[in-house]
Amino acid sequence: MLARTVTHALVGIDPRRVEVEAHLQQGLPSFAIVGLADRACQEAKERVRSGISSAELEWPTKRRITVNLAPAALRKEGSGFDLPIALAVLAASYQVPPEALEGHAAVGELALDGRLRPVPGALVAAEGARRSGLTHLVCAAESGAEVALAGIAPVGVHHLAEAVAYLRGERDPPEPPPPADDFETLAGIPDLADVRGQERARRALEVAAAGGHNLLLAGPPGSGKTMLARRLPGILPLLGDDASLEVTRIHSVSGVLPPGNGLIRVPPFRAPHHSASVAALIGGGGGMPRPGEVSLAHHGILFLDELPEFQRPALEALRQPLEDGYLTVVRVAGRVVFPARFQLVAAMNLCPCGARGDGTAHCACTPERVQRYREKLSRALLDRFDLLLTVPRPRAGDLAGAPGEASAAVRERVLGARRRLREHAPQRTQPADELLTRAVERLPLSGRGRARVARVAATIAALAGADAVEPEQLAEALSYRPPVELSE
Amino acid sequence: MSELATAVFAAQSGAHLLDAPRTARFAAFRRGFDEESYRQDLSRRGVRWVPRGDPAFPAQLRSIHDPPPGLFVRGDATLALLERPSIAVVGARACSAYGASVATTLGRELAAAGVVVVSGLARGIDAAAHRGCLETGSTVAVLGCGIDRDYPRAHATLAVQIAASGLIVSEYAPGVEPAPWRFPARNRLVAGLARATVVVEARERSGALITSDLALDEGREVLAVPGEITSALSKGTNALLRLGATPVTCAGDVLEAIGIEPLPPPDPPALSGPAGRVRAVIADAPAPADELIRRTGLAAGELAAVLAELELLGLVTQADGLYREVMSST
Repeated sequence: MLARTVTHALVGIDPRRVEVEAHLQQGLPSFAIVGLADRACQEAKERVRSGISSAELEWPTKRRITVNLAPAALRKEGSGFDLPIALAVLAASYQVPPEALEGHAAVGELALDGRLRPVPGALVAAEGARRSGLTHLVCAAESGAEVALAGIAPVGVHHLAEAVAYLRGERDPPEPPPPADDFETLAGIPDLADVRGQERARRALEVAAAGGHNLLLAGPPGSGKTMLARRLPGILPLLGDDASLEVTRIHSVSGVLPPGNGLIRVPPFRAPHHSASVAALIGGGGGMPRPGEVSLAHHGILFLDELPEFQRPALEALRQPLEDGYLTVVRVAGRVVFPARFQLVAAMNLCPCGARGDGTAHCACTPERVQRYREKLSRALLDRFDLLLTVPRPRAGDLAGAPGEASAAVRERVLGARRRLREHAPQRTQPADELLTRAVERLPLSGRGRARVARVAATIAALAGADAVEPEQLAEALSYRPPVELSE
Repeated sequence: MSELATAVFAAQSGAHLLDAPRTARFAAFRRGFDEESYRQDLSRRGVRWVPRGDPAFPAQLRSIHDPPPGLFVRGDATLALLERPSIAVVGARACSAYGASVATTLGRELAAAGVVVVSGLARGIDAAAHRGCLETGSTVAVLGCGIDRDYPRAHATLAVQIAASGLIVSEYAPGVEPAPWRFPARNRLVAGLARATVVVEARERSGALITSDLALDEGREVLAVPGEITSALSKGTNALLRLGATPVTCAGDVLEAIGIEPLPPPDPPALSGPAGRVRAVIADAPAPADELIRRTGLAAGELAAVLAELELLGLVTQADGLYREVMSST
């Protein structure tokens, strides 16, 4: 007897329909999975066998069982095939009415006692099911909320026995999970009110938020660079529906989506450590490529602390996504395109020992060492930062001040500026244009640098609610240009 | 006409020679040395050779007690540049932002007054002085290695800029590697080419002090830029001042030392309102932006605009997050 279930494999962050066929024949008892299944997938045999027995169902003995995952050319990875395989075997042995599987897709990992475990990428599997014209997705109960986001009915079950009972019509479909609250809360994001002093850096952060500019903060340890960067998501607009679904999908595939949550509405903030490999940063890994940190930061912020400590190849790999907003990862298993439109915020010390810029410490770095440290950042990469700021260590007087302005107030201004930039971007007045020309003559400012200053000036004008870019706003934009030490 | 042979022999044997040695090895080398084709090779590489006996050899340098057999020269300026009134600006490689700012301003203003600044293309003070000169005039860099090298490598671009309007000189033939002992020898050329030597920042034992000693030996004026008495980077310069070196408080002091009438100072730009307030605070002591915000009451954005204006006017400079006043020219 032959039975068939439908599930979806992940190719990058896209679903690919996979049909799971189970064929039971008379013959020497055996259980084989064919169709380019990887190791985790091959191990499904043991889990499926135990799971079925534990659910007090019958493992077909004296049968030769062949499970085929089609299309056979596609590499299958992971444990999400456990449930569809189990259901196909049960249907082939008439323990589940085969016609009951119609309109259903299935995804999930089986425990040895038959319980169902959630797998990464349930949202993507659900989207695939909807696109295949299916109406229900049998999945782990924890994945229910995520599946519902794709506009398909989740059949969230805790145990294989529950799924079987449902398919036999012995019990009602499980209650759909309550519509999950959007993961909208800004509550977890630290507030700018905690930052005392640092007026100039706060201002740069606000400009960066308003214009979506990449920001580089340079300063000694303890000058609050990380503290400021972590507060950036709190002053950015929430994600729109499309962006939010895209972000949630990537996070679902990577298995970092907090269970039970709905769409991710707050721009993600990713801060990979500087020892991160190229694959961890931009995606890849063995087998089917997985999204890297830059894709997890899609529509959000990628924060690179200790920028010069990152491996040079990792930094250079950032250039494609910074330019294009996506990146292509090619591996033996396939070629995958990941979205990666992120805002880059980076921090660095002024010298390897970190004492430079700190009035209370003495820097012992030789000029050669400082030079080498700074040379790790290529011109091409530095050119991607619209705003560069040197943040010296705050003096006691700065820290004694009142708490800073709260994120909510800053966020209002950022939203206003974004609206203005979208609807009617401020143009330079003639005096502003003259100032820009004078600056290009006087300062080491490349053609790209000029364009950068002009962009930032428009953002500053929009923040001020102005219709045109005045010289003062252009002058402020000039103050965020790369310092001489870095531009040479 | 044995100077070129001497210089090339010195390069190949790794020795430092001022005159043709009376050795059999040199005699043999000289017999096999084809001066004409070597000269052609040099000019193909854009290098000129000025032997000590040549009238174009800088008189200032000829008069030191151990002048080199000749100079290898590259760059687009004529050799007349070496006859112009000249000042050596030297100092620490690991200099402070203060030292770099002073060296740049001195370079800029001395070059503007028509004086040629001579320095050693090293990191720190040397490079800052060269850069300052390039803003308003031309400058001369003296190498401690073969004329075909740019040492340190990091200053290759700077060397190209210097060569475009000024000169790069060395007593060493192409192919000579930089070696620690060659730098003091280079310093004697720096001091020898200049009418006076200005030391901007120097530790207690610094190469820059070798230069100033050499200048004193030749009876040239030595000036020093005062620094904080607690700064290790100013120990050397402050010691020079105590011994009687002329203190430098502006470019005019340096011009006076070599008998040039300083240019009348340009009218200080009238600064009104916030720019004036910010400048007044910076004039007290270098300050980070946040302190300026606290002391002037300006908003962060306004302050940033004012600072950019002041930087454009050349009144203020920023390094490592500290804004400091640029030395005034009078």
